[in-house]
Amino acid sequence: MSQLDPVLTVLVYSSLSAAAASLGVLPHVVMGRVALPVLGWGNALASGLMLGVAYTLLYAGLDQATLQGALAALAGVAFVRLAHFGTGTHDVDLNRLEDTGPAYGYQVLLVNTLHAAYEGVAIGAAMLLSLPFGISMAVALAIHNIPEAMVLTAILRGRGVRMDHILALSVAINLNQVLLAVVTFAVVAALPALLPWAIGFAVGALIYLVLVELLPESYRQAGPTSIALVTLVAMGIVVALNGGTP
Amino acid sequence: MIGWVAVFSYAMVTALATGLGALPFVFAERVSDRFVAYANAIAAGLMLGASFGLVSEGTVHGRMETLGGAFVGVVFILLTQRLLDRYDEEAIVFGAARGEGARRMFLMVVVMTVHSFSEGVAVGVSFGGGMTLATAITAAIAVHNIPEGVAITAVLRPRGVSLPKCAWWSVVSSLPQPLMAVPAFLFVEAFRPALPWGLGFAAGAMIFMVLVELLPEAFEEGRRAQVATLTTTTIVGMVLFQRYL
Repeated sequence: MSQLDPVLTVLVYSSLSAAAASLGVLPHVVMGRVALPVLGWGNALASGLMLGVAYTLLYAGLDQATLQGALAALAGVAFVRLAHFGTGTHDVDLNRLEDTGPAYGYQVLLVNTLHAAYEGVAIGAAMLLSLPFGISMAVALAIHNIPEAMVLTAILRGRGVRMDHILALSVAINLNQVLLAVVTFAVVAALPALLPWAIGFAVGALIYLVLVELLPESYRQAGPTSIALVTLVAMGIVVALNGGTP
Repeated sequence: MIGWVAVFSYAMVTALATGLGALPFVFAERVSDRFVAYANAIAAGLMLGASFGLVSEGTVHGRMETLGGAFVGVVFILLTQRLLDRYDEEAIVFGAARGEGARRMFLMVVVMTVHSFSEGVAVGVSFGGGMTLATAITAAIAVHNIPEGVAITAVLRPRGVSLPKCAWWSVVSSLPQPLMAVPAFLFVEAFRPALPWGLGFAAGAMIFMVLVELLPEAFEEGRRAQVATLTTTTIVGMVLFQRYL
């Protein structure tokens, strides 16, 4: 890791995170049909890991110009909203297993693709605080990508997409994560004044995504108590492994 | 040298400040379900932001102790929920409300009250470090208590509880602060190791309350983009607030 060029480190770990999405098909291969509560817990697991990353990133970067960071977080929220409303996907539920309409197909892929981009910004910003810290955030997001891809797989299967195509699609929609991680890292490394902006943007976007995409449907899939427990345990694991020390 | 009477009085002032949190809701009475959802979203943001602050402070004293405390906090809320489930829904009355709404209001007051115990310990321990900063600490904690009053009122007021009653329950939820501050001040060395457990307990209980009660109801009645926007921006505001005040 220390021998590796920093940009290469970012490239390797963000690629790993994107590639991890391919493991989302595994539960379907093993279990055949993944039950609805399992999809809910998958969403909760993804939520908790993402909230944990957002919290850790927030407190790791809080001393770097707090006010700019807060403005950037609001900008992050505004940006995600704009991207959703602009593409007409603000109300798209990512868990409609029965909907095989043509519009829903591209909407789900689009929302998931946008989602991956903000994770890339988070990885790039975390890597700038320190490489080991960035790596741990990339690993958390890699694990986060697995249940997310599991839910996507359930939807694509319902639409009759072949399993090998699903595998490729899950990774493909996460590729812009690699691009944005490397670009964020390179640009902010050259302009360090942008660091609080990158951190704040990622934190705002990540928390918003959890609340708008992952949690709402999970409650209907598995019930509030188990969803809250899985989310909290996942958050706790990220905090236990990091504790906010870059 | 300021004694325990002073610590009690200072902590009492901070508890009373919680009542000020009722003020932003002067005009919100018996409003639509959608307003209840958005008030929930704001309360969720306030509690998540406060919990983030508690966890970051707790992990300084001990990371695993904080997480252990959070675990106990979750178990506590689960047990309280089970206890409430034993009663017939319509038997639970809170103000003018019955059933599901009353249950949620009661749980909210319980969560905010138990979380004040550990805040009281934090107050007492910080006074134990010397009384030179007494006024500054008191002012800071008093200001921090106001959003907690806002969170409680956001859950109670739209369900028909009168404004003075909202202020009253807000103050009641903070009464453990003066009660715990005094022993924590007198026996700082004994209480200090308990601090990360207490802070973790408070955070765990509040985050769990948000995830299990406030957000599901918010998503039920409100549009998800607006719920997410309100909660996220409130978290940002709360983190800033804790940073600068």
